[in-house]
Amino acid sequence: MMRKLFIVSTLLFWIAVAGFWAADVWLPEPMGEGTSATAAGKHYTLAELAGHDQADDCWMAIDGVVYDFSAYLPQHPAAPAVMLAWCGKEASQAFHTKTKGRPHSNYASQLLPQYRLGLLRGE
Amino acid sequence: MNKGPGVQWRRRFTTLALTLILPLAVVWWAFPEGLTPWRSAAIVTAWAGTALLVVNLLLMVRQPHLARLLGGLEPAYLWHHRSGMAAYLLLLSHPLTLAVDGWFEAPHRAWEILAPWAQSWPVWLGWLALVLLMFGLATTFALRLPYRRWRGFHFALGLGVVFGLAHVYVLLGEVILLLLLIVLALLALGWRLIASDLGVASLPYRVSQVTRQVPGMIEATLTPAATALAVTPGQFVLVAFGDGTHFRGCGEYHPFTVSGVAEDGTISLAIKSLGPCSQHIQAMEPGVRVRLQGPFGTFLQESAMAPQLWVAGGIGITPFIAALRAQPRTRHTTLIYLFRRAADAAFLEELTDYANNDPHFILHAVETGKMPADFPHLLQQVDELAQHEVNICGPAPMVNALLPHLGKSGVDPEMIHYERFDFR
Repeated sequence: MMRKLFIVSTLLFWIAVAGFWAADVWLPEPMGEGTSATAAGKHYTLAELAGHDQADDCWMAIDGVVYDFSAYLPQHPAAPAVMLAWCGKEASQAFHTKTKGRPHSNYASQLLPQYRLGLLRGE
Repeated sequence: MNKGPGVQWRRRFTTLALTLILPLAVVWWAFPEGLTPWRSAAIVTAWAGTALLVVNLLLMVRQPHLARLLGGLEPAYLWHHRSGMAAYLLLLSHPLTLAVDGWFEAPHRAWEILAPWAQSWPVWLGWLALVLLMFGLATTFALRLPYRRWRGFHFALGLGVVFGLAHVYVLLGEVILLLLLIVLALLALGWRLIASDLGVASLPYRVSQVTRQVPGMIEATLTPAATALAVTPGQFVLVAFGDGTHFRGCGEYHPFTVSGVAEDGTISLAIKSLGPCSQHIQAMEPGVRVRLQGPFGTFLQESAMAPQLWVAGGIGITPFIAALRAQPRTRHTTLIYLFRRAADAAFLEELTDYANNDPHFILHAVETGKMPADFPHLLQQVDELAQHEVNICGPAPMVNALLPHLGKSGVDPEMIHYERFDFR
């Protein structure tokens, strides 16, 4: 019984994975959207930050540093919507206390530099 | 096995509760708030699967106290299999539910979530864990491998759990409950590897006597070198035979039911040539060093005052000869002993002696040849069968053939006990 369950579930799993792959190949690509690249070391105001509050154009400030998370948003382990709420805002509080007051991992902190845009002015 | 009606049910409930309590606690703690249903499902399957994997490791620890709590090693292994399979199904659905969640966002997102090259190393750890689990289970189920190779491949499953926990750890960081799961997993793996497989928790014995019972079967008497295990008839021990003057042991632990327990702590084991290791052991000599773990099992721990019916098939005679040797029967006992050929029937002379001298003990020794036993005819010879407590020890096909006849004869299912000794 267990043996059958293993074979059937493993087959179904790979069929599903193949299905998602096939869908990726055969479905038409959506319109390409680039991420906004900006020189590092620049200073930004909270007002400037507030202008980038969309899923495809998402900036945040964490501990005085401004990041462009547009490219990272879809990869976030929790739902992108959780992060989306903080786009265009000062998000240190959210970063340090994610759901139910737990901090982010070291791994998350290591990810930050590659999305860095510059510094937050006047904080 | 069980000690009477109700106890069996209570033990089953204990094992079920112990299996479910950790996954349920973890899911309750980690239950997501304000996410889409598919993403919530992905998080719940991940946590439930991870916790079940840890339970799975705890259930494979061969520790006498833990085994007793779970009603024996056999139920513990049954739940080891069940929890492992449930964990595998949950963990298979984890990436798929994530992909479905991505699909609703944009169909191309689904493949982006699954394709390992679109991901970073924390996600690769998860994939590696899943592939290792898949490989380990495939070797468990899809092939009938020799024990030693099978055990080697089974380590892939342990490695899969470790990579799975690493996957969660690098994504979530030092979360208390996750750390607890990691500690439990490492304790279980460590105990199993160091205490059980390497034998640190075992006791030293020495072979003091070897008698050749019938062709292809020896009986070895083991004398404790230090403390003796408290074994009772019907129980089994895990034994690793070491080296002697002319004998090299295979060194791995195998279960053997005791065929005799003496008051001075010596233990007798009937060893039939069944696999490469037990065949090799046939050439054993006195003086060989042995390591023992246990005791395990509750077979023959009879408490009901009912008359006893014992049914033994082949080497399944072992627990019954141990009980007869320990003390004269105090209640009426009928033994049906089935064997292929009289020349292969171990202990037959000794059993006939007991039958001739013990008024409470009746022996029906039956040579079956290659035919299945005629159970309706055999059971007719037992007076007031429905009043009996039945203990069965033999190959699974024999047990399976006998059970329906006992049911038809009106024997209470709670009064039927059997053990299969299958530890894979």
